[in-house]
Amino acid sequence: MTSPPTLDAGGHKPHVYPPGDLAIWVFILAELSAFFVLFAAYAFTRLKHLELFDEMQRTLDSDAGMINTLLLITGSWCVARAIAAIKRNRCRESSHWLLAAMLTGVGFLVVKYFEYGAKFAAGIDLDTNLFYTFYISLTMFHAMHVVLGMAILFFVWKKALAGGYSAHDHHGMETGASYWHMVDLVWIILFPLVYIMR
Amino acid sequence: MSIHFLNVIWVALMVATVLTWFIGKSVQMSAPLVVMVLVISAVKGWLIIYDFMALRRVKFLWRALVLGWLLLTLAVILLAYWLGLK
Repeated sequence: MTSPPTLDAGGHKPHVYPPGDLAIWVFILAELSAFFVLFAAYAFTRLKHLELFDEMQRTLDSDAGMINTLLLITGSWCVARAIAAIKRNRCRESSHWLLAAMLTGVGFLVVKYFEYGAKFAAGIDLDTNLFYTFYISLTMFHAMHVVLGMAILFFVWKKALAGGYSAHDHHGMETGASYWHMVDLVWIILFPLVYIMR
Repeated sequence: MSIHFLNVIWVALMVATVLTWFIGKSVQMSAPLVVMVLVISAVKGWLIIYDFMALRRVKFLWRALVLGWLLLTLAVILLAYWLGLK
């Protein structure tokens, strides 16, 4: 006997809406659209300045980019673990995972601080050339999203510490988690595009 | 979503990231390597969307919107790099 068409491949009934508040998903889609435009602008501007972009890309610290990717992925995993914990009614454990996620965000910003510091000390800024205009704009725009994601996680963490979520009521935590995952998803493309592909 | 499965996804994403970084260390990146990096990024994005964002069991429309963004973005980047090879 085959499953009814309303069930997914695993035999579960699909949810109508994604996790968290619907408004955050409208915001997430708007943010993704903005990053799409920026990524496309980078890729097609590079087309007209191939040598410059390839040469300048070699001056970036891909180790720092890799470490930051590992940090954001780990942060996303921590948030997923926080959701898994709250679904088992483990509010305290969930708050620990949220704190760990925020710490990965702090780590990301510390790495970025040293990365920018090295560039600025070498006299590089937005006006140095077209590549660095894109590099600084794109990565700073993304870093602002990391800061906003950390702020959202902070409020979710405070509520979790106070026992404000449960297995039956964690809509707010899922809202914050969805935004944090979006920040990770964007970096998954930004890292290879800006640091790796020549 | 089991915790074990989440842990496996995390390890897979970490390994894929190190692989991408290693490819970037190549002196001269060839077209196949560029394609490989984009495929790895697609797989990573797919895992994040399905298993961390938890869209695996959400109505197709929502999944399609986010997955569509991922694939369209990577396709546009691939197109720009392909044009650069000419």
